[in-house]
Amino acid sequence: MSTALQPTAAEQALGVSLPSRRDEEWKWTDLKRMLTWPYRVSHTTDGKTVDRLVSASPFAGVTTHRVVILNGRLDEGRSKLKGLAISVGAVSVDEADPLIDLNGRLNPQGLTLSFEGQVDVPVEIIFVTTGDNAVVASRLHVVVADGASAMLLESHVGAGEYLHNPLVTCHLGKGARLDRIKLECEDGEAQHLAQSVIALGKDARLLDLTLTAGAQLSRQNGNVVFIGENASARVNGSYLLKGKQHVDTRLLVDHRVPNCVSRELFKCVMQDQSRGIFQGKVIVRPNAQKTDGKQSSHALLLSEAAEFDAKPELEIYADDVVCGHGTTCGDLNPDHLFYLMSRGIPKAEARAMLVEAFVAEVIDMVENEAVRDVLLAQVRERLA
Amino acid sequence: MLKIENLHVKLEDESREILKGLSLEVKAGEVHAIMGPNGSGKSTLSYVLSGREGYEVTEGSITFKGQDLLAMEAHQRAAAGVFLAFQYPIEIPGVATMQFLKVAANSQRKARGQKEYTVPEFMKLVKDRAAKLNVNQEMLKRPVNVGFSGGEKKRAEILQMAVLEPSLCVLDETDSGLDIDALRVVADGVNALRSPDRAMIVITHYQRLLDYIVPDKVHVLSGGRIVKTGGKELALELEANGYADYVEKAA
Repeated sequence: MSTALQPTAAEQALGVSLPSRRDEEWKWTDLKRMLTWPYRVSHTTDGKTVDRLVSASPFAGVTTHRVVILNGRLDEGRSKLKGLAISVGAVSVDEADPLIDLNGRLNPQGLTLSFEGQVDVPVEIIFVTTGDNAVVASRLHVVVADGASAMLLESHVGAGEYLHNPLVTCHLGKGARLDRIKLECEDGEAQHLAQSVIALGKDARLLDLTLTAGAQLSRQNGNVVFIGENASARVNGSYLLKGKQHVDTRLLVDHRVPNCVSRELFKCVMQDQSRGIFQGKVIVRPNAQKTDGKQSSHALLLSEAAEFDAKPELEIYADDVVCGHGTTCGDLNPDHLFYLMSRGIPKAEARAMLVEAFVAEVIDMVENEAVRDVLLAQVRERLA
Repeated sequence: MLKIENLHVKLEDESREILKGLSLEVKAGEVHAIMGPNGSGKSTLSYVLSGREGYEVTEGSITFKGQDLLAMEAHQRAAAGVFLAFQYPIEIPGVATMQFLKVAANSQRKARGQKEYTVPEFMKLVKDRAAKLNVNQEMLKRPVNVGFSGGEKKRAEILQMAVLEPSLCVLDETDSGLDIDALRVVADGVNALRSPDRAMIVITHYQRLLDYIVPDKVHVLSGGRIVKTGGKELALELEANGYADYVEKAA
């Protein structure tokens, strides 16, 4: 990092050194240049706005468990915590990363949510951020005990030109199962700089799905780390972008032990002048033999001015592994469009059907039908 | 019902004409066969009728039920009653067959000012039509044409036709890729749709299909024009003698 240079106004306000395009992982998202607001490490809260945001939460109606994290702090009044094991207290993180550093610097309240046994009811977690130029960090640690299973429905909403920096860490015990569905639907003017770190124990299973629709600038770093054998992770994502949105995902799948399976599938839709970036790296450590890792990203560019950049990387140090990646980028297939229109479906509707079909592949793997319906409705609404 | 006059068509990005003054009139209740060698313009005719982009009409007109067909977009033509059974039905991953059919049928009904089908009404309609064409429920649960065999795809096309109830059916080489049993099922499905207020244009390379779907008129298309018109016996004559006479005539 360029420590020799004068810190920018944002760096002074945030108290950290920001990465720039000189850093390989940040070459498309130069935070040093992109963070230009007069940031205030504080926020304003308007009760009515918060009520409106919480009641409009996309997952409302799907579940009875709800955790509201308002401007980085647990909002017990608006939450429905009955039956949940949630505690407030410091949460430490081992990994190093600019966004984790930022989160540490902003020193948010630590929340820990623990699951034991089979939890059939999904838990909705609403991160609400409000206030112009506000900088808000949140930190949530999720523990899924040995043999336990859980489903998290994370939504990120807000009002104003704010910067939200959530850090979500998850630990899956032996044979644990976690479905983590994240809906990034921040205010259209907001900045979302998120990090997640998910560790999988032996025989654990993860489904991680992120739909990114909100925020002007969104950078999401995801680390998936295999620490026990025979675990499997499916990481899916989709972007539904419009206007001048800029969305960059950097996903790191770290195979540290043998016999694990990882699958990543991203299907991104860019309209107008929006820009999507997908950087996916799979690391296979020297002893992680019999690793099976596949990664693919596909983009639909629905306008001439839209852009998608993909950087797939495989870093393999073991010799008995199966790994692969693939990426495609293009417009809707004109043959598909003509076929639908020739049956009487108007062009706009035919296009919408095809775009939805494109995205649906990443959503279809969610087993809970009500949740799937919410996600598909979001896709329809966002791309209308 | 359909009147094509002096139709000249070329691809948008090429100068070569494909149809060079084609004229054809099809009345309600009639079945017309269009036969011709490869490259004579048969598929182009089907695409120009159904409104595929990429073709440019440089001269001539197509009138369908008194309306200027060429002024309409593909979906408007469908709502007006034109249906093309594709030579190679397109696979569309991610779009469920039933959902697609329902949106299609209701889009057409809406465009015509008719009441849209309710879900139970529509399910019943499709189930009824599907049974007659040996299309099983499993096929309807899959995405449009995905994983269908050649015969299944053609049956699915005829099922769509039976559900959408068009007034002009254009069948583009519906016999291609079908064995004799599949051909019979498809032909039975087509024959069941013959009616005094529906017309059909059957485009085919071989006479075989016409044993099952017996046409009122047979036209020979060669070099972008209709060079001969006759009754069903013309098809037999073509089968015996080939297209050589007509290819030379057109050239």
